[in-house]
Amino acid sequence: MHNFFQFVIGGLGFGGIYAFAALGLVLIFKTSGVVNFAFGAMATVVTLTLWSLLNHAGLPFAAAWVLAMVIAMLIGGFTNGVLMRRIERSAVLVQIVLTLGLLILIEGLAGVLWGYGPKSIPQPLSGNPVNVASFLITPNDLFIIGLTVGVGLLLFVVFEWTRVGLAMRAIAADREVASLMGIRTNLYVTGSWALGTALSGIAAILVAPSLGLEPTMMDQVAVFAFAAAIVGGFGSLIGAVVGGFLIGVASNLIAAYVSTNLQLTLIFAVIVAVLYVRPDGLFGRQAVSRQ
Amino acid sequence: MSELSLSAARRGALVKSIRKLPLGLRMLAIVAVAIVAIVFPAFEGSDSFVMYTATQALVYGLAIVSLNLLVGFGGQISLGQAGFLAIGGYAAALLAIHVSGLPIPIEVLGAGAATAVIGFLLGLPTGRLRGHYLAILTLGFGVAIPEIALNWTSLTQGRTGLTVPPPRIGNTIFPTPTELYYFSLVVLVICLVAIFSILASSTGRAFAAVRDSEAAATAMGINVTATKVLLFTTSAFFAGVAGDLDAHLQGLVSPDSFPFSLSLFFFAAVVLGGLASVWGSLAGAVILAVIEAETSSSSGWEPVILGGAVVLLLLFLPRGLADFPYRAQQALRRWRGRKPRAAVPPSRAEVS
Repeated sequence: MHNFFQFVIGGLGFGGIYAFAALGLVLIFKTSGVVNFAFGAMATVVTLTLWSLLNHAGLPFAAAWVLAMVIAMLIGGFTNGVLMRRIERSAVLVQIVLTLGLLILIEGLAGVLWGYGPKSIPQPLSGNPVNVASFLITPNDLFIIGLTVGVGLLLFVVFEWTRVGLAMRAIAADREVASLMGIRTNLYVTGSWALGTALSGIAAILVAPSLGLEPTMMDQVAVFAFAAAIVGGFGSLIGAVVGGFLIGVASNLIAAYVSTNLQLTLIFAVIVAVLYVRPDGLFGRQAVSRQ
Repeated sequence: MSELSLSAARRGALVKSIRKLPLGLRMLAIVAVAIVAIVFPAFEGSDSFVMYTATQALVYGLAIVSLNLLVGFGGQISLGQAGFLAIGGYAAALLAIHVSGLPIPIEVLGAGAATAVIGFLLGLPTGRLRGHYLAILTLGFGVAIPEIALNWTSLTQGRTGLTVPPPRIGNTIFPTPTELYYFSLVVLVICLVAIFSILASSTGRAFAAVRDSEAAATAMGINVTATKVLLFTTSAFFAGVAGDLDAHLQGLVSPDSFPFSLSLFFFAAVVLGGLASVWGSLAGAVILAVIEAETSSSSGWEPVILGGAVVLLLLFLPRGLADFPYRAQQALRRWRGRKPRAAVPPSRAEVS
């Protein structure tokens, strides 16, 4: 039993990473109604930029991280402000296809600019596992868990209790009516793309030390992030955080008790099961669609 | 959820009506394409790399048309089409290896049927899912299939993969690049005839009705869920056949042959060619095969070209390449019509 809980705790670090990726997806989806399939490629470019800032500009880690976040917000804002806005009234499928085109394009550009050889960036915190209530956990995992919970709570507070959050919820409910109420919808949607890309960027920066930084690094993380968002209901920020931790723990348990090689397959099974049984996830509200 | 706010009624139609040339011109173009496809090996047959690329274009053609069935004609989405190709390829390899003397038509049908069963199962939840959820579901499917192939070593030999013998009819085998080309061409043409028949039938119209409005389709007495499941099954069948052809072309099926990027490239080719255009998809396949052949040596420009083309086309030419013949004809007309008039009215620059 002690082993079981050790595996649960061991999955929380990756869970936090999936939670960040899912938070970025959900935030953008909530306001703009678009699932950004290019999020992984964008996040990878952010991390590759961080690598360049560390290795070529010689910046300290914290400063490079802050700069990388600024660049992430520029990438996200540009994507919505220049590209997605032009087709915001097209069919859902057209918007999906545009983000897929961006995924191919950005991954390709990253490969051309930075090459395909894996690079490494350091973990935010190094150090040996520490003993917490007889369970071992690395300082880096503790940092990730704390950051995830903190950022998740902050977003929740902003979304539920501030005017900015109110405006964003109004846009999520009905963009046209929100715009009639005097909300600057384009500004908020572009802002959520910027913030969402920064959140995905954090996920990529945190996962890069474990996976090896290369242009297609986030392709596999994407499946876990989508699974986390779906488990959480794809519209709930708290759901994204809880879903991320659940998927992280589940995949660590799968690796420990079933097989280290079937994680993607079993996570696919989780996606299928959730979509069959509870398409709105654990935290989602029943969606009503007129078509 | 924002599907509530941006409901289909307020969004634009998915497929812009395809503007076609007059029937005579179209027939002429089809005959020209057919002649080029048939006599092509007479000129390039000695160059095995060119023949490989041409055969790859045929295989991609079937795969991309099968995806366009789903996306352009049915309004559904699949980010895991390479997973279907993988199933078809493995089915073909297993049939060819374990059943000696199996006639090739049976092998091709078997590969298609095995994939259709999986397509049926994957299609079952689609009655309740659309848009993003479907995209994510099929994406998961596409990445799970190679992983299963990698780990089911007793059946698939894991990473080593399965060696696929060349196609054979009776005691004759067809191992040369030119023979493989004609083999693929024949299968592709048979499949295209079948696909055009399906699209012209009431089933094809039901696909389009579900794509354009599920509510209206239901009101017309169409069983939306059954239609979607049938669409996935049909698309999977043809993708499986494409997987069979691909297995013979490569001579090997392995988990690495079906990366997620392949599904994405197919999707890009569908958009490049034009949604709901079979001929556009075939053109997209040729472009994909040629880009792949031309960029295989240099480092990684293929995704940049394809992705960039998708983004630009979606923003500026949403009808895809299928719209080009019409545009060309219109431009020609304007050019002819304007020529005599051009001299009469003075242009703005001359007046001022």
